[in-house]
Amino acid sequence: MNLSWSRLARLSRKELRETLRDRRTIITLVMMPLLVYPLLSMALNRFLLSSAGPGTSGFVVGVETVDESNWLQSLINDPRSKPPEAILQASGGDLAEFKVVVVQDGTPEQALLANRLDIAAELLIAEGEPQTINVTAFSGDQASQSARRILIERLHWLKLQDTTNILQRVVPEFSSFQVTTSEIGERPSGNVLASIIPLVLVLMTITGAVYPAIDLTAGERERGTMEALMASPVPRWWLLLAKYIAVVCVALLTAVANLGAMFATLSLTGLTQMLAGEGAELGVKEIVLIFLLLVLFSAFFAAVLLSLTSFARSFKEAQAYLIPVMLLSLAPAMLSLMPGIGLNGPLAVAPLLNIVLLAREILANNVHPLGATLAVASTILYATAALAVAAKLFGNDAVNRTSERSIGSLFRRPEVATTRPSVGEAGMVIALLLPASFVVSNGLMRWLASQSSDVNVTFQLALNAVALVATFGLIPFAATYLGRHRMTLTYRMQSTRVGFYLGAAIIALGAWAFAHEALVLADEFGLALLNEEQMERTRGVLDKWKTISPFVLLATMAVAPAVIEELCFRGYLFSAFSNVLSPWQTIMATAVLFGLFHVFVGSTLLVERFLPTTLLGIALGWLAYRSGSVWPGILMHFLHNGLLELVARYHEHLAFLGAELEDSRHLPPLWLAIAGACVLVGVGIVVWTRPRVETVSAESV
Amino acid sequence: MLQIHALTKRFVAENEVVCAVDGLSFSVGPGEVFGLLGPNGAGKTTTLRMVLGLVSPDEGYTEVAGIRTSINPFAAKAKLGFVSASDGVYPWLSVREMLLYFADLYGVQPDAAAERLTILAEVMDIERLLDRRAGTLSTGQRQRVTLVRGLIHDPPVMLLDEPTRGLDVVGVQTIFRYIAHLREVGKAVVVCTHRLDEAERLCDRFGLLHRGRMRYHGTLNEIRTESGRQHLVEIFDDLMNPVSHVVETPT
Repeated sequence: MNLSWSRLARLSRKELRETLRDRRTIITLVMMPLLVYPLLSMALNRFLLSSAGPGTSGFVVGVETVDESNWLQSLINDPRSKPPEAILQASGGDLAEFKVVVVQDGTPEQALLANRLDIAAELLIAEGEPQTINVTAFSGDQASQSARRILIERLHWLKLQDTTNILQRVVPEFSSFQVTTSEIGERPSGNVLASIIPLVLVLMTITGAVYPAIDLTAGERERGTMEALMASPVPRWWLLLAKYIAVVCVALLTAVANLGAMFATLSLTGLTQMLAGEGAELGVKEIVLIFLLLVLFSAFFAAVLLSLTSFARSFKEAQAYLIPVMLLSLAPAMLSLMPGIGLNGPLAVAPLLNIVLLAREILANNVHPLGATLAVASTILYATAALAVAAKLFGNDAVNRTSERSIGSLFRRPEVATTRPSVGEAGMVIALLLPASFVVSNGLMRWLASQSSDVNVTFQLALNAVALVATFGLIPFAATYLGRHRMTLTYRMQSTRVGFYLGAAIIALGAWAFAHEALVLADEFGLALLNEEQMERTRGVLDKWKTISPFVLLATMAVAPAVIEELCFRGYLFSAFSNVLSPWQTIMATAVLFGLFHVFVGSTLLVERFLPTTLLGIALGWLAYRSGSVWPGILMHFLHNGLLELVARYHEHLAFLGAELEDSRHLPPLWLAIAGACVLVGVGIVVWTRPRVETVSAESV
Repeated sequence: MLQIHALTKRFVAENEVVCAVDGLSFSVGPGEVFGLLGPNGAGKTTTLRMVLGLVSPDEGYTEVAGIRTSINPFAAKAKLGFVSASDGVYPWLSVREMLLYFADLYGVQPDAAAERLTILAEVMDIERLLDRRAGTLSTGQRQRVTLVRGLIHDPPVMLLDEPTRGLDVVGVQTIFRYIAHLREVGKAVVVCTHRLDEAERLCDRFGLLHRGRMRYHGTLNEIRTESGRQHLVEIFDDLMNPVSHVVETPT
């Protein structure tokens, strides 16, 4: 079958034609931009004019009598009420205008309530001089609050000047200190558009891509055209590519239409100057850059949305998947509105967030080349990965068939016992583990923080172990019980050869050292995201550990995690995943999950733990696969954790071995060489030991 | 033209292995209409899906016009036409656009496709529908368009899955005429149905499936002789209710 570009173009054209003729697409493509922006600009205009600062003729101050008006106006006009130049420059350089009016009908307060004034003032004049000046502002109104603040400041400057002059006349040597001000740091761009456009891009490309993504994938199934499509002699990825091109085009068109409408509205209403600052004009370069950004946004969203909608069996199901994604996408988009966040460090590769920040940097004319390159490259990578997932899912037979299971069936115990849990059940367990561990670990931390600091350390560690059992222990156990699966096979508790235990023990003797090094390295390269306060707290915890029995430490920090985590990851999840995945895929999937769950600690994300823990997970998974049992992994996990904890507890006693952990924190090279040799010997033993063949006979079911 | 050798497919449903198709073999020659019959869940659709390459078999293989689907799936797919009762249309495309799209999918050159469409439109009486939006067609019109779609690339083998399901008398007659036309132009046709009375009228040979296995296979007369029953309905009743058969036999 000849897969030419012209054919791809024809296939894409059909998808595009189908989408563009649909009136639902027309609504997002034409109606939204035509209606939304004029309405939004009206609201924005109103908001900006009423809140950002004084109106065209300055702040309006209302007073009751002509006398008050004259006095107030003369005080404001007095040059001594002007703040010193440095302070004036810090707040923009312009002196605010005030227009004092005499309220004709009703009191100034009533006029203020009716929004005819910015502030009301009352001057008590006695003996031809104002004695008190009372300024009333409208609660919650930005303009009114600003007017009050500025007016009071001006009156204070006047008072200060007066007082200083009098004092200097009386005490000629009197001199007071001068207050000046300056600013440091990068001044955030006054260009509000640079922050708003990325948000609009996110919203509009998603809005544009959602409908075609659903219609061209889940819609095929719903219309009954999927089977005929799949029966045709065209590779699935080719069909999907045509659909992808169509979705990208519609997303682009929608975003272009929206941006066009937005700019047209802004320039027609004169809001551009207000949002982008004086003299800001959109040149050809900016327009080209915005268009390129649009391509990037559309390419990313179209791929992500297609990967989700390809999995959905119906339009409704696809919508259910997409709504949370759309809401989630708003979070990074909102971040673009925040100052102080830049395209550097891990943020340069954070999906979506990186392109939102890139958009902001480009529009603010402040691009960091490395960050920008990383952002574009990683986004292309994410889009390709999402597209690959979509191509695998699209038209998949398993997806085509409707599952007979309902929500209720998840909680009904089946009548017949089965060997192992299914992947779906494992997915449910993971979905429950995440919030459960979040709630339990945060709850525990908050409770400990609320107690006085003298909570027994042993008790704290015991609580930690209980929390572990309650989440990673109980949830898979409950799932195994409810699913009526055989405990031995689900948790892979079969016996295995002695060689695996020996290999596991020797690997663990060396592996802890590399885990330690990985943490130190992560810290050195600035990957550690613990702040100083958290580090201090961690050091405090480590100091406390030195006061308790090593057996308690081992029982809570080595035995409990080894048993519970191994039974969960290399037991329950491993046996569930191995139903559908190849051994290496199973090892990798469980290892990545193992790594991810170690990243979430309380409300912090310990990103530096991901790599070492995932690597340990791979080693444990490989051992579990080779041995066909969870036990050698438990031994290795126990020894690994135990050695790390003991080194942390006794490091000052280890100085005689040449380890000066406190100073360098790196382990001595000799230690690393020995550790490396241990790992190699251990791996050799595991490789050399004949694997235990996993047999599940029909009778054992 | 179509040869099926020991096709087997097992599914895992709720942790239980179900053998949907078990060692199925048959062949269909040019100009022959083969009825793949069986109650719901017998494995007919799974067999068709394996032939179409939508599901890969656990064992066995299929040859379409001498091409093994496992070795050259796309070349084999190009020789197959497929029509199912659940086939839909693209509502926003015109009938012509939709049919030419499928011709393109099957690698038919645009000029040849347009020519072929003119001939088929006349045969299936859809000339007046060609420039209408597919979403505005009636059920009968949509069915005729779907039948043309299956033939647009002139495949030597046609697979029809429950083609009369949900159709009225006129619709069923259209299917009958369509199958007669396919036979006339020398296509190898496989019709999957559980409408046994229709199958008796339509097909030259039959395969009776029950729980994934071929229970009877041959012409109507051969099956009658083998089973000792006159009608396919009775044979099926025996298959479905073996006990009643034992009770009934002495009477």
